[in-house]
Amino acid sequence: MKELLENDFTEEIENYDGVALVDFWAPWCGPCKMIGPIVEQLSEELGDKIKFSKLNVDDNEAIARKYKVMSIPTIMVFKGGEVADTLVGFRPKQELETILKKYV
Amino acid sequence: MEDRFDIAIIGSGPAGLSAAINAKIRNKKIIVFGSRDLSNKLLKAPKINNYLGFYDISGVELKEKFKQHIDHLGIEITYERINNVYAMGDYFALMVNDKMYEATALVLATGMESSKLLKGEEEFLGKGVGYCATCDAPLYKGKVVTIIGYNREAEEEANYVNELAGKLYYIPMYRKDMKLDQNIEIVNDIPVEVVGEDHVQSLKTKKGELTTDAIFVLKDSISPAQLVPGLAIENEHIKVDRNMSTNLKGCFAAGDCVGRPYQYIKAAGEGLIAGQSAVAYVDSQKNK
Repeated sequence: MKELLENDFTEEIENYDGVALVDFWAPWCGPCKMIGPIVEQLSEELGDKIKFSKLNVDDNEAIARKYKVMSIPTIMVFKGGEVADTLVGFRPKQELETILKKYV
Repeated sequence: MEDRFDIAIIGSGPAGLSAAINAKIRNKKIIVFGSRDLSNKLLKAPKINNYLGFYDISGVELKEKFKQHIDHLGIEITYERINNVYAMGDYFALMVNDKMYEATALVLATGMESSKLLKGEEEFLGKGVGYCATCDAPLYKGKVVTIIGYNREAEEEANYVNELAGKLYYIPMYRKDMKLDQNIEIVNDIPVEVVGEDHVQSLKTKKGELTTDAIFVLKDSISPAQLVPGLAIENEHIKVDRNMSTNLKGCFAAGDCVGRPYQYIKAAGEGLIAGQSAVAYVDSQKNK
């Protein structure tokens, strides 16, 4: 899973034609630590169809502000560079899987 | 970290204890989270006449009977408050601040929180409204934050958030001396409604309106949907089937938190089913 930075967000996500997932996280956030491994597992299962990446909101405040991330973890699904789904807070693997499969 | 438990039971009222004794009898490794008094509602009942076998008994006397029963089976109650439970797939992670417990199955027997949500609270959840100020505080660096505190622990969170926020309002929902940093503004008013467009803009109160970027509501117990993210709720109650199964695999629920009527023996009966369902689930996982 790619760790995004402010500079490559446009190229990797906004200019990407397919489906991309961004996990907005921070090291001090407990639920982020729990959902991290679940997203990691899903990237192994669905990684050939969806581009998985994560963004540390502490180091990339401008992106977090641009996409109005008010609470973390937040998972955003982008389709053709546009936000298609925003999931705020921890989600069980089952639920996340069901949502992502809609984009496969 | 401790070893993984077979079944974690959250709640020590009649539903939780009935689940506990049924799981214990079947030799499962259990942990029960609850309070010293078992259940506040039980303590308050003056006379109980509809619990089969215990006619004309007070809540306190019935509580003693329950206590003797669990003591006899060697069931101990862990006096810790679970902040969050995460469904990780094949197990549950139960968080107590920085500490974590693991269990294969989960029984929710948390009772019913009677205090109502604020108007707009649910709508703006994650869009400025939150239940863990310390978790999201760094996102509000330099901004205006309002904390609605229902207990003394909220004061500690307020002092922490104050170090980051530009301005902090504290609305106490109790009457006690507060230990708050000097530059926190205490607002003695009653919150009414969360207002905003795509995110929180202000909090309407009985006497006025506070312009704020975030509102944190810090209560004694949070609703089941916040406790266990992803849990399905229907009409304020946890959605269950006849086996007391919730929508999450391995998670069961019993008692007031699953629906009316709010009665002791109904709670105990459901606890029995939830306990046995959890036992069956644990066995099926082991034989996989």
